[in-house]
Amino acid sequence: MTPDPLDAMRLPIMPVEPRPEFAASLLRRLRGEPPPVSGRGATVRYFVADLDAAVAFYCRDLGFDEELRPAPSFAMLYHGHLRLLLSVPGPAHAMPDGTLPDPGGWNRIVIQVPDLAAAVEELRGRGARFRHEIVTGVAVRQALLEDPSGNLVELFEPLVGYHERAPQGGQ
Amino acid sequence: MTTVTVRYIVNDIDAAIDFYTTHLHFELQMRPNDLFAMLGHGDLRLVLVKPVGPDGPAGGGAPMPDGTMQEPGGWNRFSVEVPDLAAAVEHLRSCGARFRNEVVTGVGGKQILIEDPSGNPVELFEPILPEARLSQPTPSSGQPGQ
Repeated sequence: MTPDPLDAMRLPIMPVEPRPEFAASLLRRLRGEPPPVSGRGATVRYFVADLDAAVAFYCRDLGFDEELRPAPSFAMLYHGHLRLLLSVPGPAHAMPDGTLPDPGGWNRIVIQVPDLAAAVEELRGRGARFRHEIVTGVAVRQALLEDPSGNLVELFEPLVGYHERAPQGGQ
Repeated sequence: MTTVTVRYIVNDIDAAIDFYTTHLHFELQMRPNDLFAMLGHGDLRLVLVKPVGPDGPAGGGAPMPDGTMQEPGGWNRFSVEVPDLAAAVEHLRSCGARFRNEVVTGVGGKQILIEDPSGNPVELFEPILPEARLSQPTPSSGQPGQ
């Protein structure tokens, strides 16, 4: 069978979804444009029990942007230079002894907010759960927010004396 | 804000500093006491904190209101990109590093989970798809495994 000449215009293994974020991402790829923070940033992976609930939480409540959701078990979000990968545990994640990863634990991403009290109040109003109310540490106030799967997000507000290293490399 | 901050709970600050600086080429930025350290790796700022009990100082390592102490471990992790995962793993194994699994090949790349001395996972990642690539190698930042 002769190949369809239109095949050249089709992207391989690219499911089509009617979401604007996905369309924008696809358009960027078709134009050969780099992803939002190409060459910069850091990647964190969180395991979640419910992908839709997690994406809604991070995008609606914490201002993340959805970059990709190519499968029901995986999403890629951005928040500034943070790339957050959300994975629903599945066979591909199993350890050699069969152990599956699960959400939770204490290690966490840390997100700066200008007014912690206001942020906590607003999130609480939307039904968000906190593992720890506002505590004052060295030069910061912080609170431990839980995502719908029980993963931690640390919110903090800098206080007097907070040390922030100047950006390097002039970027 | 150009920096991404992640906090890891560790049992031994100095052992963790040694692991991250020696094996994963992080840069030590601050170690004011044996409860806290701040490391850097590209745009990632890694804050290490040793958990304290109710009598310890307030802050990131403090217990919860019900007394629950924080602890290392779990599955959530940051990832570190390496140009050649097989070479990195071989080198790190020869240094005595612990891995939770073997190299897994996914859609975007190959990956493996290394454990720090407290048992926290770090995902070492070699991108296959260009979209999965994040950091560009820079002359100033060494690559794990080299």
